[in-house]
Amino acid sequence: MSGAPRSLDVVQRWFQAVVTHPGGVEGGAESAEAQRLIHLQRGELEAVIRRSKSLTAAERMAIYANAYYARLLECMEAWFPVLKSALGEEVFNAFAFEYLQRYPSQSYTLDRLGENFGRFLDETRPEAEEGEDGSWPDFLIDLATLEWNIHQVFDGPGVEFQPLLTAEALQAFPAERFAEARLTPVPCLRLLSFRYPVNAYYTAARQGEEVPPPGPAPERIALSRREFVVRRYPLTAPQYALLEKVLAGATVGEVIAAAAEAAGGLDDDALAAGLQEWFRLWVAEGFFQSIA
Amino acid sequence: MTPPRLGHSNLGLGVGLRSVHFDYILKNQPAVDWFEVISENFVDSQGRPRYVLQQIAERYPIVLHGVSLSIGSTDPLDFEYLGKLKRLARETGAEWISDHLCWTGVLGRNSHDLLPVPFTEETLKHVVERVRTVQDFLERPFVLENPSSYVTFQDSTMDEWEFVTRMAEEADCGLLLDVNNVYVSSFNHDTDPDRFIRSLPHERIVQFHLAGHSNYTQYIIDTHDNHVIDPVWELYRTAHQLTGGVSTLLEWDANIPPFPVVHEEVLKAKRFMGEHLPKEGEEEREPALAASGDTVFHPLHTIRPEVE
Repeated sequence: MSGAPRSLDVVQRWFQAVVTHPGGVEGGAESAEAQRLIHLQRGELEAVIRRSKSLTAAERMAIYANAYYARLLECMEAWFPVLKSALGEEVFNAFAFEYLQRYPSQSYTLDRLGENFGRFLDETRPEAEEGEDGSWPDFLIDLATLEWNIHQVFDGPGVEFQPLLTAEALQAFPAERFAEARLTPVPCLRLLSFRYPVNAYYTAARQGEEVPPPGPAPERIALSRREFVVRRYPLTAPQYALLEKVLAGATVGEVIAAAAEAAGGLDDDALAAGLQEWFRLWVAEGFFQSIA
Repeated sequence: MTPPRLGHSNLGLGVGLRSVHFDYILKNQPAVDWFEVISENFVDSQGRPRYVLQQIAERYPIVLHGVSLSIGSTDPLDFEYLGKLKRLARETGAEWISDHLCWTGVLGRNSHDLLPVPFTEETLKHVVERVRTVQDFLERPFVLENPSSYVTFQDSTMDEWEFVTRMAEEADCGLLLDVNNVYVSSFNHDTDPDRFIRSLPHERIVQFHLAGHSNYTQYIIDTHDNHVIDPVWELYRTAHQLTGGVSTLLEWDANIPPFPVVHEEVLKAKRFMGEHLPKEGEEEREPALAASGDTVFHPLHTIRPEVE
């Protein structure tokens, strides 16, 4: 232990290394990072932290160390409640604990704490065993993606109290300009494509049903927000292809062509009837701000 | 001569705004004097939380209370955050902006905790410079709160109250005296809470905080999950007498009861405002003894999304 005065910067970096260490205060104080900053022999913590009448320096530091992970795990549970119920508390916490070490918060807001959780689950997916398809982690990743996006849409930009495209305005739009026109989607519209039907699973789990994890099957949905409530819309492959083009800024002609391609063998009349019905629904649900 | 409360209003008895009470407040418009909001829950919100706040700010005085400024950190100040805070203050007409005398992380990390600083000349100089910078940037009254703490540093060369006093005077800022935090920290550090409160520059105290805590016998955690205990009310009585009365705010952050219970709790403060009022016997007499590991103090709240 050096007797030289310690700068505030050194004390803070040491304190952070100790209280955020996954091995607790003892592991933290003995970590290479903490030792580089303030070299202490085991049991020398009181050279930095005073003891109280009741607690040793290590016991006092443990209050911060315990709270660090407990607090952030609680937040992760709040962001991913359905994923937690799918995994069970113990497994979820083990994943989240490792995640918090790999992606510690770097923002003033907890709103970003879970933004890399889906990526983390992908990065740490186990190798498939012989004879297994190994896609089960996709279920977890898809579920995490759904829950994270619901949060983003809930508190992100919306269009409450703003004028939206109405059925009348769409009807009145000059037919000869239609193919070259562009629809402006609302900023809260998001498209999600899953490998597992996690939207249906999410609905069942929220209703308190104990449902086994589903088998793999493609699922596509749109998320949007109306009157501050997040809405989920299951989509077919042509609907998804169409809306994907809208979000990319394509013309109406291009978005219809994309839907037709995705619809495969559907005849023109059936597609036309479908398009009319889809636009009626999406305009009513406030997917578009305008057409121009 | 410095005027009481640095000349700021005494807003009366307020309640910390929590999302579980949004619907109740909008529907019932309770007769609360003012609301304090956690800045970080609203600076980025473009959804219902921000809309609810807008409606509440039209009717009630608002104070912004932050947990991420990290005034004591050796990392640079986050001007992206400060810019958003300034805009939120303008949009809500915030009476003042507060945060804590603490740091939340270094090397770009955020522990989302209110970590303690060593009370040294170096820390004092560092914090004073940053308070001045923040005040100049925000162009709105700025006050700092004494946090609850669980350790003290061998390097400290002065008591917390001396540090707080010199900081407020040298940086020319206001103080948010959290009476419960004084009690919690004094218990944890074997110091005298009454002396702490008597030693402060009382004319610089702009606001009080009150809250409940969890007593684990050997130490106390500032959990904000219960009623205010009697000894804290007694400290409040002293603080009220010394300051002449300042805006008082109750925080309740875990196991949050219905709004009327929270409101009723802060209204108890009236009993401790008159020097000659008899002491009443129905407050919490004994510190609440908590089972270990019940509650983690949350300076921030996650808001459950509404989804169909």
